[in-house]
Amino acid sequence: MRIVVAVKILPDSKDLRAGNDGALDFSHARNVVSEYDLNAIEAAAQLAASQEGSTVKVLSVGPASIDESKVKKNILSRGVDELYFATNDALEHADARATAQALSLALQDVGGWDVVICGDGSDDFYAKQVDAQLAATLNVPCVNGATLLQAGDGCIVVERVLEDVVETVEVPLPAVISVQPSVAVPRTPSMKDILAAGKKPMHVAPLDVASEETVEWVECKVPEPTPRKKQICHVSDEGAIASFAASLKAAL
Amino acid sequence: MKVLVLAERPGAAEELCAGARAMGADEVALVAFGDMEMPPSCADLIYRVTVPEGLSLDNATATVNAIFDHVRPDVVLVEPTRHMRILAGALAFHGGTSAIADVMELDGDVASSMYYGGAAILKRKPGKTAIYLMQPGAFGDSVAASGANQEEPFAWVDPGATVKVLSSEPIEKSGVDLQKADVVVAAGRGFGLESDLDMARALCDKLEAGLGCTRPLAEDMKWLPRETYIGVSGLMLAPKVYVAAGLSGQMQHMVGCDRAGTIFAINKDADAAVFDQCDYGIVGDIQTVLPLLVNEL
Repeated sequence: MRIVVAVKILPDSKDLRAGNDGALDFSHARNVVSEYDLNAIEAAAQLAASQEGSTVKVLSVGPASIDESKVKKNILSRGVDELYFATNDALEHADARATAQALSLALQDVGGWDVVICGDGSDDFYAKQVDAQLAATLNVPCVNGATLLQAGDGCIVVERVLEDVVETVEVPLPAVISVQPSVAVPRTPSMKDILAAGKKPMHVAPLDVASEETVEWVECKVPEPTPRKKQICHVSDEGAIASFAASLKAAL
Repeated sequence: MKVLVLAERPGAAEELCAGARAMGADEVALVAFGDMEMPPSCADLIYRVTVPEGLSLDNATATVNAIFDHVRPDVVLVEPTRHMRILAGALAFHGGTSAIADVMELDGDVASSMYYGGAAILKRKPGKTAIYLMQPGAFGDSVAASGANQEEPFAWVDPGATVKVLSSEPIEKSGVDLQKADVVVAAGRGFGLESDLDMARALCDKLEAGLGCTRPLAEDMKWLPRETYIGVSGLMLAPKVYVAAGLSGQMQHMVGCDRAGTIFAINKDADAAVFDQCDYGIVGDIQTVLPLLVNEL
């Protein structure tokens, strides 16, 4: 099976700070693979391992700044055969439609594929919309929320945990499938994996895409946290438990 | 103004139809799938879609697009379930736009959603077609739904290649609906053993609380049902009282309880971020604090 995993490279959410102007400060944040996309890569690697002759290629579209050696090696050290980055600075804040259009264009350079696997949602928007938009762009079926993938004959059998039911579906290929984080725990690459990653094929090329933002940004601000009393004591302080319990009862 | 509502559960259908009225809609049309029971006086028009036997709801993309073309709504409001997200994405593609997801508040056409899991709030305006995936409770309950519920079946449109359902099993829910609980105790990685959770359960018994957790306890350790984890991609709660036990207070978790009335925190690390975001905190190991606290209550 020829598997493509579509991932997002973005500033690490753990390094975000609140700027003085109330905006998010990205200046200390390095680029990483969006957290849940690592689960998608692992799911793809495991699916490929279950069927001999399978390939796993990772594709990402974004601004030119995503092209970092460390990020590329990280991806290629996770059971991935080849990597494709298609860059255009117009994709900095791309919405689901613009991202899906860029991905579908970039897919033409990746070559033949049977399934595109996406993560549950990206660290920034977490809109869970690129999968559906990409499938619509490519005119193939889309299934989301996958918790188990099994290769079949010309299809993938997907178990998905929905809000009220667990649904098992047969998805004909080609298709777009997005996976929940629980589908697979991302591996911890060994030093050998990381060294080998540097020798794998990396294709980085600019993407000629007309930026077509259809949703307008009005404002992006760090919210004021709800003010809290912050009355902290230590368990060994005299009467600490009694006073903590009393506050708890009073709040009920 | 014409509003089209996409929902697969009656509660959400009613809430979104009421929301449409609150937005000032003079015409509310609802897409109802299968034999979904209609709440009384919910919408003006109901387009009933029957999904062919054996096909999953995801295949309704072409049908929903056709209803959209037929109704020509100004605004589309969507329940944010997995199935509906696929239909919304395909519809947004059809309408030449992107759906704005997980809207917490609508002010005119400006939608607020979380950015980076709540690290910032993003306000956006739709383009030519407004499609919003609405979070539960986003409209409040100031306006009731209304309408004659006039039913019109809408013919199925072949979507091309189809996804087939092999089985569908109801999820056995854990019992407590944390969304409705007044008191929530949340357990984090400070619980080293699954059996340690009994201490949290004892506290829940005293407080008549529901037991929730951080993502790792549900997703990685699988000690608690996945529908009980709180934070980004999990539950967003607003209980009266929230007891954060043995959790560090990572932003990804804390956005899920930021709207709690009073937050209590227990952690052995005095520098844990949770102590900056709580009303009352106690520095100490949960092994020590929880039994003492249960005894005191």
